[in-house]
Amino acid sequence: MIIPMKKARLIILKEDRSKVLLALQRIGEFMVISPNENDKTSLAQENSGEKAQMSEAMLRFLNQFCKKPSILDPRPEVNYQVFSKENDKGQHVEDELLSLSNQLNQNKNRISFLENQNANLEPWHSMDIKLENIHETKNVDIVLGYFPENISDEFSHIIKEYEMTYKLFDIGNDGQSVLLLKYKDDKISWLSSLKSIGFVEVSLSKLSGTPDEIISSNKDEIKRIIEDNNKIMDKISGLNQYRNDLALLNEQVLAQQERNNIQYIETIETICLYGWVCSDKVEKVESAVSNVTKNFDLAFLDPKKGEIPPTVTRNNRFLAQFETITDMFSLPKQGTIDPAPVAGIWYWIIYGMMMGDVGYGAIMAVLFYLFKKIKKPKGDMAKLVNVLYYSSFTTIFFGFLFGSYFGETWHPLLFAPLDNPIGFLVLTLIIGVLHIFSGMGIQIAQQIKNGHILDAFFDQVSWMVLIVGLGFLFLPSLKTIGQWMAIGGAVVILLTAGRDRPNLIGKITGGLLGLYDISSYMSDILSYSRILALSLATGVIGMVMNLLARMVSGSIIGFVFAILIYILGHTFNLAMSMLSAFVHDSRLQYIEFFNKFYEGGGLKFKPLAFHTKYIDISDMEKDH
Amino acid sequence: MSTGIIIAIFGAAICAALAGIGSAYGVQCAGQAAAGVCAEKPDLFGKLLVLQALPGTQGIYGFLVAVLIMVQTGVISGAPVDLTIQQGLAYLFAGLPIGIVGWWSGIYQGKTAAASILMTGKDPDASAKGITMTALVETYAILALLVSILLLFGIKI
Repeated sequence: MIIPMKKARLIILKEDRSKVLLALQRIGEFMVISPNENDKTSLAQENSGEKAQMSEAMLRFLNQFCKKPSILDPRPEVNYQVFSKENDKGQHVEDELLSLSNQLNQNKNRISFLENQNANLEPWHSMDIKLENIHETKNVDIVLGYFPENISDEFSHIIKEYEMTYKLFDIGNDGQSVLLLKYKDDKISWLSSLKSIGFVEVSLSKLSGTPDEIISSNKDEIKRIIEDNNKIMDKISGLNQYRNDLALLNEQVLAQQERNNIQYIETIETICLYGWVCSDKVEKVESAVSNVTKNFDLAFLDPKKGEIPPTVTRNNRFLAQFETITDMFSLPKQGTIDPAPVAGIWYWIIYGMMMGDVGYGAIMAVLFYLFKKIKKPKGDMAKLVNVLYYSSFTTIFFGFLFGSYFGETWHPLLFAPLDNPIGFLVLTLIIGVLHIFSGMGIQIAQQIKNGHILDAFFDQVSWMVLIVGLGFLFLPSLKTIGQWMAIGGAVVILLTAGRDRPNLIGKITGGLLGLYDISSYMSDILSYSRILALSLATGVIGMVMNLLARMVSGSIIGFVFAILIYILGHTFNLAMSMLSAFVHDSRLQYIEFFNKFYEGGGLKFKPLAFHTKYIDISDMEKDH
Repeated sequence: MSTGIIIAIFGAAICAALAGIGSAYGVQCAGQAAAGVCAEKPDLFGKLLVLQALPGTQGIYGFLVAVLIMVQTGVISGAPVDLTIQQGLAYLFAGLPIGIVGWWSGIYQGKTAAASILMTGKDPDASAKGITMTALVETYAILALLVSILLLFGIKI
């Protein structure tokens, strides 16, 4: 059912702001309404966003170097006391990781600088002169440089022309390295004619020592840095044990950020918050606020006309899980009927029919039970897992009815789908009619509630009578009754479907068009034949896997292969069947069932709450 | 082997092959879109995988009917029944609905899945809507599968 909403107006002193917000965030029952553009303020600071990014980045940094917690590890838990306290340890770990990551970056840059320098010096390594000594003297110019290898003829020509002395060294990436000596005389002219053939001058005089010495000292330094890096890595792995403290810090900063982003109206001394609260949680909110401060004013108002409150649905534990199926389509609007209880039961039954295998059902039950126990999923994920977990029981139930055990047929209680596909087809169509009728039933209830009793009779009951009548035509003993029911239903539709039209011709065409809806009802009902198709697909593919496994299982090697085929084949079939059943079961609810009565379009209730990603808070009381 | 059984084998081959082509194309088409979205938002992988897997069912349906034909005609157990040409043709035609519809609907479902994947990339909460839209295309493959199966069970040998 849908819980009515109250609009809360909370006025508190500014000094109590942070503790009241924390208290509200803890109970997670207060959805803040942002005030109008012109009179809102908030405490949003760039700062908290940056903080959240930093702790997230450091977690990622840790993940680069250390083993991530495995998917099977249970989620860490802290209690609220720890969560609400300052997390010095997490902050410390974050700072340390930040400085380590900076060091790693510096080291990386230094290494690439040194490697670059070595690559530049490599061609000169046989030059046995200290680089700082290479500079022009009183009478001689000294120039170091490279020229492209393929122009050595032109080069020697210029050398001869200007009477230079030179010595060649190794060939590097930039070309042939060369040391040129020349009596001081018109340096610009000879240098430019050298440059015109591709000579490049380099200056190495800023370095000290011979190239060889520099190269080897650089290599030593690189070795030291790598050792240093290893030490840093060790330190990082050492910090991995405090991963949870860092994750906790991340959660805390995110929660802080959510509180800071809340918008409110303020006066000099007070702030005023508006928010939606479920009408049955009013006391909870009140006591949460009164626990932290005495000075407050809290009023609960009914929503005004034009205000659309968010939707919260509450059902019993079993049905509540199926709310997720409805929510994926669209939330119900305030003031309408929550379809989850009816849709949930049908979803549960139809899922079982689509899977219909004892073995698969048992595996699903075990898998999802373990998943629930180990991972403790939260929110929508938890509901989805529960839906599949509950559906495993209907899967087992229909497995017994159809006698299907991992694709093998063994003593069906009802019939085996492969032996009696027509019987199964009829069964699925009957299920379809009942499913659609229950949707129309909800519509009747809605129309009666709104005082449109005649509409309910003309638009719903007439169709139900017509469809049942058509069904009876297939049974010899009920044929006559069916005939009259069908005719009666059709006449009512023909006479009333055009009742909204203004004139007589409109009413007649409206009636005829109304009767034409029979095609949409028929296609809706036939759509349920997919239950048969999916059930057969699950069963037959399972059977094929068994067949394949049996075919190869002659020898010992064959036996190993057979087991492999058996396990892989059934895993694949189970996964695909679960996906298909999930998708097509949802579709039957959304298209065939919901279009009979459901509008949707409700807003999501997004209370101020802790949305933790890595860590659970253990002593939280929450029920939606 | 009679000509009839050869025609029946052709029927089994064609429904596995055509539906398989359709699914392969569909899954490839959706996969390309999913890889693109995944590059930007790796944490959507699970949702995208579901959408990508949807056009894969046609191939399974084709395979299913092919195996059913093989079981009924005894090909799979190594003792093929001597079918008349008429019976062989009946098996061939029974396989055609899922073969042809599986082929085309696989391709079109793949395109719808790709579009839904892009939608999920923009709004991760919309993935259920995308799944529903994509599943609508599959309806016709399911109907074709049903017709193929019902036809198969109607053939008397």
